[in-house]
Amino acid sequence: MAATFLRQSARLGRGLVERAVTKRCLLSAAYLDSQKWDQRKKDPQNLAELAALMDITYEKKLPVSSLTIARFIDNISSREEVEQAEYYLYKFRHSPNCWYLRDWTIHSWIRQCLKYDARDKALHTVRNQVQYGIFPDNFTFNLLMDSFIKEEDLTNALAVVSEVMLQEVFDEQCTQLLSLYVLHKYRHSKPELKSEDERNLGAILLLVGLKQHNTVGFSSQLLGLALLGKVELSKGIRAVYTKMPLIWTPGYLIRALNVMENMVKASNGKRLCKEAVDAMATILETAATETSEPTVTDESQEIKQEAELDEDADDNEKSKLTDYLNKFKELYADLESLGKIEAESLLTLTDKLVKENLPSSEAAEILNYKKKLEKWEEEHATLIQREKELKEKARQEREARLALKAASQT
Amino acid sequence: MARKKKVRAIAAMARKVREYWALKRRPRDSERFALDYATMSRPYSGKKLPALAHRDIRAESRLFQLLNRLPLFGIGRLLTKKSWLLAYDQPCYWAVSKVKVDYTAQDMDHGKAWGVLTFRGKTEDTVKEIDKVMYHDWRLVPKHEEAAFTSFTPVPETTIRYVPYPPLLRAMILAQRQKEGKPIGEEPMIDLERNRHFPKDYFKNLDLKKQAEGTPV
Repeated sequence: MAATFLRQSARLGRGLVERAVTKRCLLSAAYLDSQKWDQRKKDPQNLAELAALMDITYEKKLPVSSLTIARFIDNISSREEVEQAEYYLYKFRHSPNCWYLRDWTIHSWIRQCLKYDARDKALHTVRNQVQYGIFPDNFTFNLLMDSFIKEEDLTNALAVVSEVMLQEVFDEQCTQLLSLYVLHKYRHSKPELKSEDERNLGAILLLVGLKQHNTVGFSSQLLGLALLGKVELSKGIRAVYTKMPLIWTPGYLIRALNVMENMVKASNGKRLCKEAVDAMATILETAATETSEPTVTDESQEIKQEAELDEDADDNEKSKLTDYLNKFKELYADLESLGKIEAESLLTLTDKLVKENLPSSEAAEILNYKKKLEKWEEEHATLIQREKELKEKARQEREARLALKAASQT
Repeated sequence: MARKKKVRAIAAMARKVREYWALKRRPRDSERFALDYATMSRPYSGKKLPALAHRDIRAESRLFQLLNRLPLFGIGRLLTKKSWLLAYDQPCYWAVSKVKVDYTAQDMDHGKAWGVLTFRGKTEDTVKEIDKVMYHDWRLVPKHEEAAFTSFTPVPETTIRYVPYPPLLRAMILAQRQKEGKPIGEEPMIDLERNRHFPKDYFKNLDLKKQAEGTPV
């Protein structure tokens, strides 16, 4: 009896250990360490006072300084205060000083949200950056993405990556690697994709692939352009570039074929993934079979006329589909003969890439972060100094006025 | 005059107060340029927008509808207009340098912006206010396409200076030359860069010059 119980507990223990190990954490502990952030100078303020001050300033229609909102967010200490801070961020955005929301305030807001377990709030504010003014920098984006990756929450991680795409800030290596990981894992889980999701995915793949000059990068470019070409054929070029950082010249499939052509001509030892090439093949073939069926539109007269003008461009694409198919087959044969088709799946390749390159890029980013922290400290100090001087000046003027009044009365 | 104008202090103060109220209650950009998309008219002024623009208004976006999604409101980014894309081959774009957003707008999609214009490939050197900000005509150039978009090889302009005369006038000139006994020289050509602008008193002076020269005796 005791033996079975022991065996059961041992099995449970092993299971627990396994479950703890399977939680993938990409960024190292040094990166996620909030020690440096916690060590900076504290500026303890009473939140209720700050809130009252901000309310009075808004009522009098005077501008609220960025220092006030920075202090408010730095001194958050519970979940309810996170909600209040969200409200004040919204009000700050809709005030004359909205342009002056500081970088460190945004970083502090995301850190506080993660600390007080308000990740969905952070994601909500980042998604509605128009209304809240939250434009995080790369480091902050990486922190947020990693917290979602840890929880295996791929849809939300993908939402963060699409925000990075919309702001076109795939500049740092870390962000690129993390987003590639999220993307390919999401694709691997074979989700149901509507055309907006396909378009987002295609745009992210394209923008990240342009920055990475290796097999994963080029395959992502090809896949992204193929997806965008598919959306272009089904919904028209306008659906592709509206509200996206994409160019409006039609012909995404030609660009995909150009990527393949460049691979054929290039001699840098990089290859294209079979997955990407197969996806391109399926898209071309399904599109070629679909164009034989007529599309039924059920719109009013005016919109029909506009749709006709738009469809002229699309009809060009559809007529060129057979040409694309032939060109694709030629290029595929060329690539195979040159041995440039990579048989491993994109997911394994991305995993390898991430494992190799993440530590080195992390070190560089941690240094940058330290320098940024120092710069932010200086700015903070200058702001506090300026506020003190202004208060001093206002006090002196008031005293002078009072003295004048007292002198004129006596 | 009869008597000095009476100094009306209260009226002067009232005028000042009314000016202050007008300044405080002036219509912001978001009110002036608000648009009712159903009737395509502006609620503030009641005016309807031109029918040829309706298609663009439904499909395209205003400048600040693009800028409010960007960090720092898109300072440093390039923006084109769809009408320029259709009209000119050469790149035309504004590079945004300063932004003043109308914070009373719900979606922060009105305001004023300043920048440097590059029109048909020629970049200007001063910062100017971006006009037609509220037109539904704007497009954002993606960062990865900026280099390709702004690359421009200027074609040397060939301006024609000499143009042949119309046939009747040419015949008249040649006939005149023949009558005067001059040899028929080269083809008479119009010089397009000749001074085309006569001052007001040119012809009056012509007559005066003729009188001054006097009769040939």
